[in-house]
Amino acid sequence: MAADEKIAGAGAAAADRAAGADRAAASAGAADRGAGAADAVIRVEGLQKSFGANVVLRGIDLAVMPGQVVTIIGASGSGKSTLLRCINLLETPDAGHVWFHGKDLAAERVDINVLREKIGMVFQGFNLFNNMNVLGNCTLAPVTLKKMDRRQAERVALANLDSVGLADFAGADVNTLSGGQKQRVAIARALCMKPDLMLFDEPTSALDPEISGEVLEVMRRLASQGMTMVVVTHEMAFARSVSDEVVFMDEGVIAEKGSPERMFTNPEMPRTREFLARYL
Amino acid sequence: MSDAPSITASTRRARLVAWLRRDHRYVLLGTSAVACVGMLLSSRPRPALSFLAHAFTVELVMYYVLVAWLVLSAAALAYKITHWDTYAQTAPFVRPGARRALRLGSHVIWALTVTLFVDRVVMGFASAWVAASAATSMPPDDMLTQILYMLQQGYATYLQGIITTIELAVFGTAIAFVLAMLLVFVRIQRIDRPDNDLVRFWKKLGSGFARVYSTVVRGTPMLVQGVIIYYAGFGLFSGSGMSVTEINAVWSRFVAGLVVISLNSTAYMMEVLRGGIESVDNGQMEAARSLGLSQWQAMVKVVFPQGIRYAIPGLSNELVINIKDSSVLSVIGVFDLAFAASTIAGIYWKQLNAYLVIAVFYLIMTATASWLLGKLAKRLDVRSEPVLGVSNQVKAGGEK
Repeated sequence: MAADEKIAGAGAAAADRAAGADRAAASAGAADRGAGAADAVIRVEGLQKSFGANVVLRGIDLAVMPGQVVTIIGASGSGKSTLLRCINLLETPDAGHVWFHGKDLAAERVDINVLREKIGMVFQGFNLFNNMNVLGNCTLAPVTLKKMDRRQAERVALANLDSVGLADFAGADVNTLSGGQKQRVAIARALCMKPDLMLFDEPTSALDPEISGEVLEVMRRLASQGMTMVVVTHEMAFARSVSDEVVFMDEGVIAEKGSPERMFTNPEMPRTREFLARYL
Repeated sequence: MSDAPSITASTRRARLVAWLRRDHRYVLLGTSAVACVGMLLSSRPRPALSFLAHAFTVELVMYYVLVAWLVLSAAALAYKITHWDTYAQTAPFVRPGARRALRLGSHVIWALTVTLFVDRVVMGFASAWVAASAATSMPPDDMLTQILYMLQQGYATYLQGIITTIELAVFGTAIAFVLAMLLVFVRIQRIDRPDNDLVRFWKKLGSGFARVYSTVVRGTPMLVQGVIIYYAGFGLFSGSGMSVTEINAVWSRFVAGLVVISLNSTAYMMEVLRGGIESVDNGQMEAARSLGLSQWQAMVKVVFPQGIRYAIPGLSNELVINIKDSSVLSVIGVFDLAFAASTIAGIYWKQLNAYLVIAVFYLIMTATASWLLGKLAKRLDVRSEPVLGVSNQVKAGGEK
């Protein structure tokens, strides 16, 4: 299993995760899949979700390979965010599977907390912890969950803050930051857990175009460093230049997916063409 | 003048001072009202300790000065009405010399009225106090003297009542706060995916218990709860074979009262805390969960510290409520302020007097508590230190 080998080589932190995943698998009744399925970081199969009478996802199949950047585009209400939130189980799927490194997250009583440590998420509304400063936001999870020494956690946090250009803001109150700075802190906070996968839920939708640039730049650099990413976005230029695969969602299904070149120059489906026409 | 702690308080005060010192209308008409009060005071009977009683002529002169001021103001008013548009230019009252004289005159009017106030009201109170002290039995004549007599005779009773009431309210609220903190965590816990059956069972049981507790306690009067808990406790102890004296040693009326007020307040404080926690943006919980924190860790480290800030006004209000509501515990014989009042009212058969006194005491206590809690809340609202502080190592890093 290629993914597992990669983890084994990735040092103590990854071993930690693997142990956690094993625990999760044990509690999930060892719901392991064949080697083919485990190649992907995330493999979604037949995912369905509805809120009351409102059916949001009608059977989604999606695979994200290590190092791949997948962007999900589509109109509002097409189920993009719900799909993303199902991947780390912020929403519980009604049916289907979400395999993360070959472990089924959607299985009953899986230890989702341990698996979530390896899945970073960035929200549209930033959701920085208001009762802590920037550094506190970044060190909370490593100190609480990895039992990391405070100084060690602060060093890691500072390195990550530095990589998003905010090392000087470590002691700042989160409420004094601009939107772009908040979102970069949110990215650094997620990176502090050394995730295998990063989920971005419309990370620039709450920002004006001028400020979204600084966030997109950070994401672009992250992608170039080989981070596996799933990005829900309306930033078509970003989707086109950064992603390995573009997924177009419409009314709860994946209407079309393909390489960005093909999707943006020669989409097959009329619905995709219609949607993209508004951005070109 | 209100001392409400707001940003505009100082500007409002400055505006009031400017009005009092400069405004022509105030100098004439406002001071006329003061003069009227002075005349009213002067027409009241002189108390025994009145110092103006020895200077009848002085008071007569004072009275006529006040009358003269009213006449002067009436003249100015009449002039204003007849010369509405040209008053500011033509009136003799607005010439610089006249203005200065009127300003001086307004100070004199104030001085005269204050003198009359001291003579009639302050010395009247002192006279009543002296009369009450001298009396050997209930003075028959005036109510103030009667109240002061009852206060002097029963001050030990009132004092004990005040102390008991404060003890009940303060300790009751403190205990309730601790219990409410525990109970609210039990109340708001949710089933989490990794939980096993036993954890799920306990969570459901705890949450259900908290809900029922809150409904029952908030749905029944504290008076009824007091009687039930006191006598149920008494019955429990006597069932275990203790004598009445032994029971009274452990299950005294005060202890029972404290238990009742604590248990009662717990339910309300829990709801206040729950409201605070639920008003924290759901994104905070989601962000914490997305990092891998469990339901409990996210609650304790992220949501609760924010929620309790929203709950502070409601929590401090609970102390004020307990100061007042402890009065119903007198039904089980807790020697609080209300019990003191009923005791004293029983001795002198003067219910109105006895309860007027405790109304003032309760008001003083609640006002003091509100004021102190307001200051405390203000201090807490200053952004507290972040949960994870910045260590020296990080400060050094931040400077680079």
